[in-house]
Amino acid sequence: MPSDLPIPKPKLKLAIYWGAACGGCCVSVLDTHEKLLDIVAAADLVFWPIAMDIKYKDVEAFPDKSIDVTLFNGAVRNSENKRMAQVLRSKSKILVAYGACAYMGGIPGLANFHNRDEIFKRVYDETESTVNPEKIRPQTEYTVKEGKLDIPEMFNDVYTLNQVVEVDYFIPGCPPQSERLLEVFTAIATGAQLPPKGSVVGANEKTNCDECKRKKTDNKVIKKFYRPWEIQDDKETCFLEQGVICMGPATRGGCGVRCVTGNSPCRGCYGPPAAASDPGAKMMSAIGTMIDADSPEEIDKIIGTIVDPAGLFYRFSLPSSILGRKIIL
Amino acid sequence: MEEPRIGVYICWCGNNIAKMVDVEAVAAEVGNLPNVVLAKTYKYMCSDPGQDLIIKDIRGHHLNRVIVAACSPRIHELTFRNAVEKAGINPYLFEMANIREQDSWVHTDRSEATKKAIDLVNAAIHRVRFHEPLQKRSVTVDPATLVIGGGISGMVAALEIANAGKQVYLVEKTDRLGGHVARFDLTFPHLSSAKQMIHPIIQRVENHPNIDVFKQSVIRDVSGYIGNFKALVQNGQPEPLELKFGNIIAATGLKSFDPSKIEEYGYGKFPDVVTSMEFEEILASGKVLTKHGKEPRNIAIIHCVGSRSKVYHEYCSRTCCMVALKFVNQIRAGLPECNIFEIYADMRAYGKGCEEFYAESTHRQIIFLMFDQQEKLPVIRQAEKTDDCNMLIEMDEKLSGESIEVPVDMVVLMVNMEAHDDVKDVVHAIGVSLCGNQFFIEKHPKLDPVATTTGGVYIVGTCQGPKDIPDSVAQARAAAARILATIAQGSVAVEVTTAFVNEEFCCGCQTCIRVCPYTAISFKEDKKSSEVNEVLCKGCGTCGSACPSGAITSKHFTDRQILSEIEGIMSMSYKEI
Repeated sequence: MPSDLPIPKPKLKLAIYWGAACGGCCVSVLDTHEKLLDIVAAADLVFWPIAMDIKYKDVEAFPDKSIDVTLFNGAVRNSENKRMAQVLRSKSKILVAYGACAYMGGIPGLANFHNRDEIFKRVYDETESTVNPEKIRPQTEYTVKEGKLDIPEMFNDVYTLNQVVEVDYFIPGCPPQSERLLEVFTAIATGAQLPPKGSVVGANEKTNCDECKRKKTDNKVIKKFYRPWEIQDDKETCFLEQGVICMGPATRGGCGVRCVTGNSPCRGCYGPPAAASDPGAKMMSAIGTMIDADSPEEIDKIIGTIVDPAGLFYRFSLPSSILGRKIIL
Repeated sequence: MEEPRIGVYICWCGNNIAKMVDVEAVAAEVGNLPNVVLAKTYKYMCSDPGQDLIIKDIRGHHLNRVIVAACSPRIHELTFRNAVEKAGINPYLFEMANIREQDSWVHTDRSEATKKAIDLVNAAIHRVRFHEPLQKRSVTVDPATLVIGGGISGMVAALEIANAGKQVYLVEKTDRLGGHVARFDLTFPHLSSAKQMIHPIIQRVENHPNIDVFKQSVIRDVSGYIGNFKALVQNGQPEPLELKFGNIIAATGLKSFDPSKIEEYGYGKFPDVVTSMEFEEILASGKVLTKHGKEPRNIAIIHCVGSRSKVYHEYCSRTCCMVALKFVNQIRAGLPECNIFEIYADMRAYGKGCEEFYAESTHRQIIFLMFDQQEKLPVIRQAEKTDDCNMLIEMDEKLSGESIEVPVDMVVLMVNMEAHDDVKDVVHAIGVSLCGNQFFIEKHPKLDPVATTTGGVYIVGTCQGPKDIPDSVAQARAAAARILATIAQGSVAVEVTTAFVNEEFCCGCQTCIRVCPYTAISFKEDKKSSEVNEVLCKGCGTCGSACPSGAITSKHFTDRQILSEIEGIMSMSYKEI
């Protein structure tokens, strides 16, 4: 990695925006540490709400395609996210879905196991700390003495960025590793040949197991599933062979197998490898073949030891999966 | 990929489909879908004119994909694959939609059945767009055959193949050939001698120049695939012998059920309660005597011992009823004064000459007593000193409805025939599957009864399920004929729709290794990648669905093809919901 990025003339225009996000993706940009100085030397940051004060109307006033690269993190959860996705699409030459939420729906996407009514009911009626006898719900507009306020409408579904607008590249991760961001940024800044539109960049073709140092055999025979804290991890055997579900074999490498190196199973934030479309479905099929049972009852019993299977297998990918959401009638 | 040009043909199947499905409406509906060049209906697509229609259209309209919506692909997929191949298209660019078994035959509402037909055809259209041409492959066949088991089935099969001039290796676990039949005295229903039948066969096998017999031997380390197997024969020698062969016949037979588990019968406690196999030996000795050397005055024969039972085995052992009748005939011939009690649950007399044999046997002054096996088994107990017999059988006689006591000096238990204890070793060695009763499973219960799902491996005789001598011999000769046909061809076609591993994507997690029922997948340490042996692979698809990385593709059943098919079936009438 070069310590000084070449400065293109004129400087690139870079935007970073967050939809339904936790802020971790923006922090991953800051995690480039002193390299951030190289980035701002090579590019002008024209829009970055976490770090700069600039209004939406200013962005809307940009000429079309005037931003070279926009890193859009977070899922599309409400009308504000959607509007800004559309604005940034038209203002940007390259729109990147940055991080697991923009790419696959991410953690906010787990809300697709419910719908808006269920969520509102829980949040505005049922939580232990709520007192709301009039059952007031969020409104999309509200009149105050200064005038009418428009408030974003929360959608029934959580969407990935490319379910709302066309996306050029995807950088996976929760959050993406800062080193990967620098590699991608360097490639753009130096005018390197970019991969075909729609590619996943800043990640490997193969899955995490390829880089994982743990010992792997064909001995994946599971009588009971364990959560990581329920076993004495020997720190060297494949987690699956110890009965702990690790999303590694269904997850694209690129993070440097950080979780497993830290003796925690892979949670799947880097998304599916190039050859698999739906990591949750793939992993469930794989797990199905590992269950060592002699009867349907025993199968049920063993599967019963998987805590929150939907949240486990689709932790980051529900809106982008074949499943998409839970159908609630 | 070239732009798909799809021809769709909707078959009337006479009235079979057309009666319940509006075939013209189906053709009209799918005719306008993307990539569909034409959609036609015809009375019998499988007829020569029906096939010619396809061939003519392929040439005239430059079709590169063909769909026939008709009966089950199990019936006519091959017919149409051959037809499109004749017109120069790869046979795997054909797809069949089953609108008969899955539609017209099972529905009663014509408009609903028509909608379903449209969905099924639409699914096929979605799928066939992603079909890829596949090439046929074949392997050469080693003309030698391995026969495991030297009973009557194994010996007959061995002789059939050896007489055709081909090498046979016959491996027998025990120290003698002949199996169960060699222990029988007479056979049913003609009461002819088993020994006179089996001994010449043993002689011919042992002296045949094309048969190598290995007694007290077991087979291990079987490897390879149809046409090209090898294995080691272990027979006490320090160095096992390696054999090479192209086909395998498993004729491993079965064994008698151990009746000591059934408390009511007191087997092992009463010396004169014997199993049917032990009674064969008593009969073969020439004189029926109790353990104390006395002529029994009362003999009972109890049926279904361990068979047709919820506790032991639910299946019928098929041969015991007739063996029991054979026994009563033999007892009557030797002991004209003896009281003979046939204690049966149901009398099963199928098979050529068997019902007649049953009718004749009823004239031998036999007392037939029926019991209800699900309700209450007869109970054997020691007789009192004052009783004029050795034991008493207490039973509820079903036909009279009375509880009775039957005096007996000797009891023959018609024991169930069950799988060998070591059957799983054989299963693992040669790659066959077991049914719930631990018998080997045939490839198709009706149409392919001696083949297995592993190419080049055949099952004959009672290892496939209890059966009598004629059925065992018929299977043995059938398997031999199948094997001789492949030897005569010199090569056999192997599965085309196999799985393969894309090394670029395989991460080496090894999830696939164990799931393969055909041991076709191995892990290559040097490449850190799994590898499918495409000759062993049967294309079952298990590894493809198990692979979490998407590195394994099941040819002709790719994720893309299957997901498109699902999309197709959901996209027409589903829209209305």
